[in-house]
Order: sequence, then C-alpha cells, then structure tokens
Amino acid sequence: MNFLRTLSIPLLTAVLLGIPVIWAFPAELPAWRSLGIVLGWAGCGLLLASLLLMLRETWLAEWLGGLARMYAWHHVLGTVAYLILLAHPLALAADNLATSPVLAWALLSPSAQGWPLWSGWLALLCLMLGMASAFAKRLTYPVWRWLHGLLGVAILLGCLHLWLLGLGPTFFFVLLLSLLFIGWRLIRVDGSLAARPYLVSQVQKVAEGVVEISLRPLAAPISARAGQFVLVGFDDGGRFEGCGESHPFTLSAIDPDGHLRISVKALGDCTQHLQSVEIGVAARVQGGFGDFLIDRPGTAQIWLAGGIGITPFLAVLRDKPLTGPTTLIYLYRQDVDAAYVEELRTLAAGQPQLNLQLHRGESDAASLAAWLPEAAALVGQTAYLCGPPGLVRAAVRILGQRGMPSAHIHFEGFDFR
Amino acid sequence: MMRKLFLLGTSLFWLLILTLWFQAGHAPPARTEVAMPVETTYTLAEVSQHSLESDCWMAIDGQVYDLTAYLPEHPSKPSIILPWCGQEASEAYRTKTKGRTHSPAADQLLLGYRIGPLQKDSR
Repeated sequence: MNFLRTLSIPLLTAVLLGIPVIWAFPAELPAWRSLGIVLGWAGCGLLLASLLLMLRETWLAEWLGGLARMYAWHHVLGTVAYLILLAHPLALAADNLATSPVLAWALLSPSAQGWPLWSGWLALLCLMLGMASAFAKRLTYPVWRWLHGLLGVAILLGCLHLWLLGLGPTFFFVLLLSLLFIGWRLIRVDGSLAARPYLVSQVQKVAEGVVEISLRPLAAPISARAGQFVLVGFDDGGRFEGCGESHPFTLSAIDPDGHLRISVKALGDCTQHLQSVEIGVAARVQGGFGDFLIDRPGTAQIWLAGGIGITPFLAVLRDKPLTGPTTLIYLYRQDVDAAYVEELRTLAAGQPQLNLQLHRGESDAASLAAWLPEAAALVGQTAYLCGPPGLVRAAVRILGQRGMPSAHIHFEGFDFR
Repeated sequence: MMRKLFLLGTSLFWLLILTLWFQAGHAPPARTEVAMPVETTYTLAEVSQHSLESDCWMAIDGQVYDLTAYLPEHPSKPSIILPWCGQEASEAYRTKTKGRTHSPAADQLLLGYRIGPLQKDSR
C-alpha cells in the first residue's frame, strides 16, 4: 500500500475530528466543562469518520486502501467515538460536582432540563444498543442489521440534541455530513444504485454445500480483476426468493465475455438458501474490491487455501498462466468438501510453474506446521493466505516464527458487519 | 479488544451515573450547607465593576455569571444584552424584556458560566 493510501484514513479522521473541535473550542470555561464540550464534539467528528467508512464504493475503497481496511477503521473509530461520547456528560457533570452532587445530577437529569437533554440521552441509548448489536456475533444478519441501524437514529437524535442546545454553525456541519453519509449509504449501497444488473446464467454444484454461480451482465459489466471480491444481492425469481441483502463473494472466474463466477458455500441462512438459486434470477453486483493477489512479485510464492478459500487462487489460475514459481497448498476436510480438485490437477499439469499440494484432514497447528515449507525454503518467498480466520492466524504465526517478514504475508479479512 | 473496551466503558459509565444519582438523592442537607460557604460569594457592587463587553458579569436569580465568553454566541443583537452587563438581570433573563422565557437549553448553557452565588444582603 502506498504512502498516500496509508495516510488517507488517518488524515480524513483528523479533518472530521478537527473541524468541529476547533470551531467550537470553548474559551475561558472551567476545565471540566471545557473537557466535556471538547469530548462531545470529538465524538461527533469520530462518528462522522466512522459513517464515511461504511460507504461501499469501489473508487472510495481504492483510495482508502481497501474495503477490509475501511471496515477495520470503521469498527475502531465507532468504538472510540462511543467511549468519548459516554465521557461527555460525565465531564460536564464533574464540573458541578465540586459544588454539589445535586447540581451535578441536575445537569444530567432530563426531567430537570427538558428536551435538549432527553434527545441527548435517547441518542446515547440508541448508540449503546447499536454498539451492543455490533459486538453480538450470534445475532442473525437481518436482526443485526436492524439493530445496527439504531446507530443512524442515534446520530440524528444527536443532531437534534445539538439543535435544541442552540449550537449554531457547528450543528449544521454535523447535520449536513450525517445526512449526506447516511443518505449515500441508504440510496447508493443498500438501495443498490451503485450496483450493476446481472442475471444468473448457470448454477453448478462443485462440492458438498458449495455451488458455483455464473452471472451474465445485463448492462456494462463491473470492472474487476482475478483475486478481488464483489458484493452480490440476489432478487426474487421463479420459485426462488432473494435474501434481501448483499454478501461479499470472492470471484472464482472472470470470463472474457464479461460473465462472473462466484462460489457460494452454505455458511449461514442466506448462503444456505443460495444453494437452490435458479437460472434467470436477477442479481445486483458491486465491485470489484480488494487487492489480494493483484500486485504479485515475480519471485517465488506460496499460496495457502483452506476450503472455500481456494476461490481467489482459482480465479488467478483460470485467468492466465503463472509468471513465477508458485506452490499452492490446498487444505480440505473430506473428499466431498474438496471443490475444484480435478480442475486444479488439470491446471497444474499444464502449468510447470505450479506445484500443487493437496492435503485432506483437520488443519490443526501441528498439521499446518508440517505442511508449510521450512524456514530455509521460505527465504525470498511471498505468502498469500485465504481460508477460515483460525487457519489464517495459525499460518501467519508459523510463517512469522520461520522468519518470513510480515510485509511478505498477505491475507484479506471479510468482517463487514 | 474493542468488545472488551465496549463492555468496560459501558459498565463504568452506568456505575458512575448510578453513583451520582445516589449521591444526589441521598446527600444530607447539612453537608450541602457546609459545602456552600466554601464558594466565593459576590456582591452587586462587585458585579457592577464588570459591565463591559470585554468583561461582562450578571446577577441572575441569586447567582453570578461571567458571560464574557458567551456574548459573541448570544443570538440577539448586542444592544439587547450588553446593557445588562454588571447588572441584576433576573427579570430581564426571565422575560427577555418582552414577557418571553428563555428555553431549558439556555438555562443549561447558563449553568456553565456560573462563578458563584450572589451575597444575600447585597440583593
């Protein structure tokens, strides 16, 4: 990642944080009250930055270093903003605490202060519920999505709080940017205005609980490269009912005629449902996102694929012949889970640069350590990893212990909740 | 890590809020009375020495406020508020000189500029 991309998110955050804080910086007020005011505006600025980072636009993702990086920052900034906004009323109350706890409580009590405080408290409670849903991994996606939407409500209630407190120009800055980012997300992303129309043209079962879906473009196809992933939402069609939500899928092929192929493993309610998708169902595709396997060095590479994590490597192998020596280690539990094994064998037979290693069984740390090359063989190599998070974490640890620099180890996360 | 911070921050927040609520509800009146004299009190004569735009105090409902920093933020024209610098302005605050009250938001803002109570015999 180049220097400007690395700095892009911190710089944007600094601007969105700095404008309200500097604009509304209190002068000649007691220390605790000043701190409370600064914390309030800092929380607003960080929330705005967090909102900006949930916009799934290809050009924005490219500029900010990828969708996975945007979402990692989205989570961190959202949490920090939340903690700062919790401290905001406490600092304001602390200003009066030295005088009397009664006076301190009066400053926080909505029954004493009316709607300016009711709106602030409601905003904070919505923020709390929305944040709690973000950390509740067991919630189903639709429930999580509705609860997470409370964060948008919290921001609008926060704007009402600012307006009722009579905080003029800075309020308009926060309100306008909030409406812009929330509206953008609802219309362009959730409303699929940023997506291109496709049609399911073929469905093929490639392993137990895995189907490969071919998508034919109905208009200009998206711009994507092998190794990238796309966001796909399937509509109703025939006897199939869409899930009403978009999911990230790594491309398993980009055909010359513009057709895309994705491999869908039944890992949740929607992906289980997609095993029965029918030809002719309309789909909305947005992307491509990510830079996994895009700028590979000409030197030797080691590719590690766990289960459905084979898809980006398959897309690259289907795209064009390799230019450097590459070892592909493909791990799967049982033969019925092993998607594309025969095709990989055929590709390896035709590509002298490709060393294909297939391993069946549980991928525990000891097995992984035995399957990965020893330290001497790793010198000068670059590793690309794709698979379940536990497998990727274990592989990163083993490769690091064997002296591979972290800059030579590449993997991509898909935590877009 | 973020989940732990969320749980820790939320728990601490509610603990502090509940502590404050409990303290406010159960503070013995005597303790409050003992605490009050520690504050600096001001006479109307002292308030009247701060009657400029660059140094503006007002006495409102038994409390003294230093509103110098707030004057540029006040929504009305300066000619409305400036004459009350250095004055007992309770009635003006309550009625905005037109029979209209200030909002609860304004009451809350005002709290932030309080510097102490007005000495009782100076009212």
